[in-house]
Amino acid sequence: MEQTILLPLLVFFPMAAAIIGYLIGRKNKEARNVWACAVTFLVFAGAVSLFGKEARYTIPDFCGLGLHFYGDGLRMVLAILTSFIWFMTTVFSKEYFALYNNRNRYYFFMLTTLGATLGVFLSADLYTTFIFFEIMSFTSFVLVIHDESKVAIHAAQTYLGIAVIGGLVTLMGLFMMYHLAGTLNIDALAEFAAATEDKKAFYGIGVLILFGFGAKAGLFPLHIWLPEAHPVAPAPASALLSCILTKAGIYGILVLSCKIFLYDANWGDFILILGTITMALGAVLAVFSIDIKRILACSSLSQIGFVTVAVGMQGLLGSHNALAAGGTILHVVNHSLLKLVLFMSAGVIYMNLHKLNLNDLRGWGKDKPLLKFIFLMGVLGITGIPLWNGYISKTLIHESIVEYIVLLQAEGLAIGYMQAIEVIFLVSGGLTIAYMTKIFVAVFVESNPHADGCHGQKKGPYMSKLSAVVLTAGALILPVMGIFPHVTADQIAEVSYHFMGAHGPDHAVHYFAWINLKGAVISVIIGGLVYFLFIRKVLMEKDPGGILVYVDRMPKWLSLEDKLYRPVLLKVLPFIGGFFARMAGSLTDGFVAALRMLIFNDDSGRVVPPEDRYFSAYTDEESDKVVYGEGFAKSLLMIGIGLAVAMLYILF
Amino acid sequence: MNEFATILPVIFPIIAGAALLPVKFRNRKQREFWVLTITILNTIFALYAVYFADAGVVTIFHFSEKLSLTFHIDGLSKVFATMVSVLWVITTVYAFEYMTHEGREDQFFAFFTMTYGVVLGVAFSGNFLTMYLFYEFLTLATLPLVMHAMDNKARHAGKTYILYMMFGAALAFIGFIFIYCYGDSIEFIYGGVLIPELIKGHERTLQVVFLVAFFGFGVKAAILPFYRWLPKASVAPTPVTALLHAVAVVKAGVFAIIRLIYFSFGTEYLMGTWVQNVILIAAAITIVFGSTLALRTPHIKRRFAYSTISNLSYIIFGAALMTPAGLTAGLLHMIYHALIKITLFFTAGAILYKTHREYLYEVEGFGRLMPITFISMALTGASLAGVPPFAGFHSKWALATAAVQSSNQVAYLGIVALIISAVLTALYIFYIVVRAYFPRKREYAAGYYDHVSDPNCYMTVPLIMLTVITILIGLFPSELLVVLEKVATGIM
Repeated sequence: MEQTILLPLLVFFPMAAAIIGYLIGRKNKEARNVWACAVTFLVFAGAVSLFGKEARYTIPDFCGLGLHFYGDGLRMVLAILTSFIWFMTTVFSKEYFALYNNRNRYYFFMLTTLGATLGVFLSADLYTTFIFFEIMSFTSFVLVIHDESKVAIHAAQTYLGIAVIGGLVTLMGLFMMYHLAGTLNIDALAEFAAATEDKKAFYGIGVLILFGFGAKAGLFPLHIWLPEAHPVAPAPASALLSCILTKAGIYGILVLSCKIFLYDANWGDFILILGTITMALGAVLAVFSIDIKRILACSSLSQIGFVTVAVGMQGLLGSHNALAAGGTILHVVNHSLLKLVLFMSAGVIYMNLHKLNLNDLRGWGKDKPLLKFIFLMGVLGITGIPLWNGYISKTLIHESIVEYIVLLQAEGLAIGYMQAIEVIFLVSGGLTIAYMTKIFVAVFVESNPHADGCHGQKKGPYMSKLSAVVLTAGALILPVMGIFPHVTADQIAEVSYHFMGAHGPDHAVHYFAWINLKGAVISVIIGGLVYFLFIRKVLMEKDPGGILVYVDRMPKWLSLEDKLYRPVLLKVLPFIGGFFARMAGSLTDGFVAALRMLIFNDDSGRVVPPEDRYFSAYTDEESDKVVYGEGFAKSLLMIGIGLAVAMLYILF
Repeated sequence: MNEFATILPVIFPIIAGAALLPVKFRNRKQREFWVLTITILNTIFALYAVYFADAGVVTIFHFSEKLSLTFHIDGLSKVFATMVSVLWVITTVYAFEYMTHEGREDQFFAFFTMTYGVVLGVAFSGNFLTMYLFYEFLTLATLPLVMHAMDNKARHAGKTYILYMMFGAALAFIGFIFIYCYGDSIEFIYGGVLIPELIKGHERTLQVVFLVAFFGFGVKAAILPFYRWLPKASVAPTPVTALLHAVAVVKAGVFAIIRLIYFSFGTEYLMGTWVQNVILIAAAITIVFGSTLALRTPHIKRRFAYSTISNLSYIIFGAALMTPAGLTAGLLHMIYHALIKITLFFTAGAILYKTHREYLYEVEGFGRLMPITFISMALTGASLAGVPPFAGFHSKWALATAAVQSSNQVAYLGIVALIISAVLTALYIFYIVVRAYFPRKREYAAGYYDHVSDPNCYMTVPLIMLTVITILIGLFPSELLVVLEKVATGIM
């Protein structure tokens, strides 16, 4: 166990660099872009150099309880992933943001968010996690709102609202945990929880802590911000939000599930249900959507659901959880790499067309082989086609479900429930294929019915060489990881097992055996059916010109946000709160006024809403009203005089 | 010599302020020179008295055997006096610029300087009588400041202010009489001065009296239902609202409550009784109440005033836990809130001074045009909302932990109040900041952005200093905590 200054440096260096970058950016924009790339690369290199080591660092007394960093296997995997994705998007940002305003602000908050996110992933106690988690929420808010359009402001407000409320509920849980266990150190908590027989007290606290992390990950029913916020952010920021920031939530869920509720079947079941709902819901939303970035965002929701299902399976499988643990971390890694490619491709489309609706994008990519190839890699990866990386992790998760069914059968228990989960899992996989095919066909296969001039052919290449290199590199990783799982995926899983309390699987997983390929085949069949029978038939219709167009058939009234959360939070609760606050506030005056009416029969004692009276006294029209006319203040004076007289009487 | 050092920071500004009253300064420079010299000198005197002159109990003269005019600088005085004397200089500099558009500066700075001495008098007082005396003086000295504008609404606010204060002091006086009768002295001694033999049989009476005195001092601390003077008094010039109604006057109320609970009645006698529950509940209700009304108030300064009401009750809540941990947390929040709220009021004042805009829908889109003002507001606002790692987060954490540790059922209710209030705080503070940086409309009427820019260095330098102090003290609170813990356990 060595003390490594590198660990806090990974966190604080980007934050300091953000300030320097901001100052550079005021003088020279080009230099700032290079600086940001250099900083993210250095952080990436620093993170890689710590891979496989165990490093600790403590900054005592900072922020009261002190900050504790710890870099073990899983944490370093996440840190490397974060810094890699950050580096890629930063390089890509250079071209993407060429026409944007406020780039200085973007780069500042982008680098601060990098530091904060690494702070979350490298934290050794929940206090540190929470601090950086909150910083991350607030700095990423600026990334979401960057466009400053109406939609962006609306989405960003939802994001901030959920982040604030989620953060405070988590904080409440942390208080209670601190009170119960006397520590927030993650390893100490694990020991404490393992030593406690009765876990009842933990469940409530666990749910509270889960609230904030789940909200950030996009778990149902706190997912509402995600399909709104991810599409409105600039593409590099969308990639960061989807790839990494959701994973910060997953990290929190992992800490809960693998440390405090290790091998706990009840908790696993709870997480599994949330994950299953999110997985299916995201996929369905994505199928219905016709905005390319929104589809990708809903897809993230669904993939987060897959990860959460894997986390839930870890709990259910108890100490035989190697498959589920491997599936968890690999799907986290794979999804990040995939969404990086997909969102950056969407960014390339957007920076050329400034449109996101599938009907407007139709056929744009038909004659662009490189982008088509890059996007295809992403599609094949995320849909779980064998030989691409998504297949590996989905297979592991699927296998863990099958393994649990086998275990249940062996013990003679009912398996209907788990079989239902398996069916939903395969169907969600099928839906993934359906919606990704929808995008791919629309953008890269179909030809545009209004072909002539509707894309406003721009002069020059549609993306710069630098961006092309970044995207191609990102895309090539995907099949490489898929073809050689034993060299890549298994290594990542291997170092991460310790954190998740898993022991390596008894035998190497045969990824390409028929039994494992079967799941992929079923999903492909379901996906094909959904695409041809549902998307092409139901979700497309002929417009007046006789052309098939994509239509959004998602009923508006189904929005959980507009129908439930916003009205309750913005209208009902403030009204009730304001009502009671005014009641409480006018108690004294109201009491006096009522007395004057009842006892003195005083007509002027009518109960005038006090706020109106006082606040109107601040306007110019108000005549010089005598203050003694007022109920409460006069009474106070009278009481004061009375008391003084009484006091004089007592004294003399 | 040391005795004199203790008394000097109290009487020097009072005499100097009185001397400034008849003086007609020739120009601004001259007035600034004299006022600043007096203020800085007195801050030096005060800090010297606090940290170097270890004078102990200084009695000026006896009225009777028990009644005397006494100064005694103990730990609590040190905390309060340091806070006040540092902030006073910063506020004075800010006021130089701000007051140019309010007029009648000669009179303003005379009373402003006098108030400095009176507040230190409250801080340094060694017994109940002395504190009561300066507590009353404080009302009188600040009244001209509240009514400074002398238009209808200022006079109205001033009258309300003095009526509430007199009533509060009258209630507190009752507490004083009973301490005089049932205590072995009226000195402030950690742990209380009540004589157990005398109390026997009168517990119920004394508890009621405590409650009466608590709410009496609570008037200055704006606890429900005696809060109404505070939002009204926000018509006063901004330096007054900032320093007096966020720091000096309201904190004097809180300070007096702490004296009452810990140094006169004593926690031993009060802890676990129904009285404690009553004041915990009153504080919890006020916390939520203030935040709710702040959210519903579009007038920026009044919004901050309601926010002050809420935050004062955080401190009272901490003190009312009646444990050293609770008092530590309360004092920590007292210091944090002083810094944060004074900065927030300064930003509101900067907007008012430059643009004469008072409502938050009138300041949309100002963020980038007044960078220093709004960055200060964003950072201190984040502190107020308790965003880690800023200052407010730590004090709320300490408050909640103290509440949990006190294992009082009512205190758990307070934690819920803290959390609800934290949500509301985030909403009411970020609403302004977000609107300022991300306006709802693309275009505004002609002239909307006229004169919108940061004020000059008289106002921006205090803002920057305060923001930096707030952030630093939030990042490195451990030294401060050690000191506060000593104060709260009566060691210092």
